[in-house]
Amino acid sequence: MPAEARPSLGSIALTFATIAATSFGGGQKASIRRQVLARGWIDSDSFFEGLEIAQVLPGPNLLNLAIYCGQRVRGVPGAVAAFAGVSIPPFAIVLAAGVLYFKFASNPFVHGALRGCAAGALGLTFGNALELTWDERKSWLSVALVAATALAVSLLRMPLLPVLAIFGGAGILGEWLRVRKRSEA
Amino acid sequence: METLIHLLSVFSQLSILGFGGGKGIIPQMHTDAVTTYGWVSSQQFTQFYTIGKLVPGPTTIFAALVGYAALPQRPLLGAAVATAAMFVPSSLIMIGFDSLEARFSASPWRAIISRGLAPAIVGLVWSSVLTIARGAPSSLAAYLTSAAVVFLMLRTKINAPLLIVLSGVVGIAALR
Repeated sequence: MPAEARPSLGSIALTFATIAATSFGGGQKASIRRQVLARGWIDSDSFFEGLEIAQVLPGPNLLNLAIYCGQRVRGVPGAVAAFAGVSIPPFAIVLAAGVLYFKFASNPFVHGALRGCAAGALGLTFGNALELTWDERKSWLSVALVAATALAVSLLRMPLLPVLAIFGGAGILGEWLRVRKRSEA
Repeated sequence: METLIHLLSVFSQLSILGFGGGKGIIPQMHTDAVTTYGWVSSQQFTQFYTIGKLVPGPTTIFAALVGYAALPQRPLLGAAVATAAMFVPSSLIMIGFDSLEARFSASPWRAIISRGLAPAIVGLVWSSVLTIARGAPSSLAAYLTSAAVVFLMLRTKINAPLLIVLSGVVGIAALR
């Protein structure tokens, strides 16, 4: 028998708060998985099901996954506890960073550090774009959609909603046709 | 009051459109926060995004900083409203989905939607690179720093916040 099959709302909030406050640079999914399985809140199949849903719906994956787990063990109140746990520590930390930012941004050393950090964050985003594009390389339709989306957004300044409707819609249509063709064959 | 309503409207729309973990919303957030409402400059936007990547938790928590800057008289209120608008709507969808989920899980639609949306999200990430570049320093030292981070990110296991901190050290030495 799992030790904690029906955890208190406080324990749900605290578990996810700890994960959120220590989730530097990824690895959160693995740490959520470890924690919820070790506590016997949900089983592995149910976890991966939740991960898929968390990734397909809008919102940060970490937040969605925590909500899913919270809801599985304690219903909507559990989901709310998980939401609070994931949101509050990063909010407090980012606020503290903001207060320091507005106080010290004009100091030449802080200014230099911020500019350096911005160059670093730009590099990370570029690297991320490269990695994600590499994942799409097997389909010409996907590569064309990546390029068309980037051009429409950066050159034509197309807003997000039509971008998702047109290019996201075309991608979903293409994927649906591909799956249908494969199941007929 | 008007600013609060605008913050709510901007960030709740971004929340609902935040597919792919929210990776694709950066260009639209820049348009809203910098161009349309002038809450922050391009340089501040990039630096807030950077702080979002540096602190633990979802990157989009940097919405709090945009809210903070948008309401200088009541910065905490601005930060709280922007954050709530950024996180609550997508969370309500997640909670509401639980009841529909049984119907959805048997069908292949989940995989079709997430794989089908992926190319558009990746295109939006490329546009985010250009958006972030607008507020990043433009000097040879800065470009070399970005290039070094791309290399280290793809070739080593050094985690992202540490790479940002290292870039900051370079910045103190070379980008003052």
